[in-house]
Amino acid sequence: MTTYQSFLLGVRSSGGYFISTFLFGVMFGLAASSAGISHWHAMFMSGTVFSASAQFASMEFWQAPLPLGTIALSVALISSRNILLGLSMTHHFDGHSLPRRIVWLFILNDPGVVTSFRLDKAVDRLGYVTGYGVALMVSWLSSSWLGLNLAEWFSHADLGSLDFAGPLVMSTMMVLFAKGSKSDPTPWIVSGLASLVLFEIGTPNYLILILSVVIGVLAAIVRGRLNHA
Amino acid sequence: MLEQYPILVAIGMMSAIVYTTRVGGYLLGLQIRHIGWLRPILEALPGCALMAILVPAVRQGNLIEIVAVASVVGIMWKTDNVVIATVVGMAVLLLGESVVGV
Repeated sequence: MTTYQSFLLGVRSSGGYFISTFLFGVMFGLAASSAGISHWHAMFMSGTVFSASAQFASMEFWQAPLPLGTIALSVALISSRNILLGLSMTHHFDGHSLPRRIVWLFILNDPGVVTSFRLDKAVDRLGYVTGYGVALMVSWLSSSWLGLNLAEWFSHADLGSLDFAGPLVMSTMMVLFAKGSKSDPTPWIVSGLASLVLFEIGTPNYLILILSVVIGVLAAIVRGRLNHA
Repeated sequence: MLEQYPILVAIGMMSAIVYTTRVGGYLLGLQIRHIGWLRPILEALPGCALMAILVPAVRQGNLIEIVAVASVVGIMWKTDNVVIATVVGMAVLLLGESVVGV
């Protein structure tokens, strides 16, 4: 399958997440408007950052004077999963020039990566993930714009509960991971349990993330050795 | 009222950080890809990170939020339909808060 055909497959496959991204984009527009961000700043953010979780997190700190360090730390911690997503795609983007891969990685997206694990080997993964990402970018930008313009209509409603939208999106991805990946789920379960224990003993968020992933990786190593023993 | 300059700095910084994480992971992977025993670890990493972020977030949630996540997971597991799962989850959040008042 050519890169272009794979790109189109990515666009077509994005249907479900296109709509859910649209819903969250509308909510981001509403949140940005209530935080006092101008329309073009919010659209500029959606176009250049293109990360729902990072953008929602930054909204929590969007007040004068802007706490740049806090915003940077929260965005870095939340986006750290992108490092792992990029790592996991190392074996799948071969056959393209390095400059192309570096440019197209701008649009690397969780659902595209997760669903690509289910694909036949004939599909060009970079084309697929990019097509998926372009579709989600269209959805994200158009819905952010809609949300910004709808903000006046919803100004009377309390939408505080939608702060929890991020975990909802991540839980859909986790189910896709669990059902679609051929990987052993044991390390993920161990990582989740470790994060719960670390949370309960009052560990800082960045340490929960680091330690849980390390413990999950150790579980992966142990499982790998047991399977080969 | 926020000034224009710090806003642009903040947005530029956010986009740089997010892009760096996207490219950084991939470039790091290129350097260590030939170490065969790392492959299962690389495959386990994204799921571990998602769980490490998701579980504490759900644990901090109130009853309505936990019910919303449980609904999403249950519907996703049964149907694989992201739209239905997301809409139901959001409906639980919005209606739950107004009905239960959590």
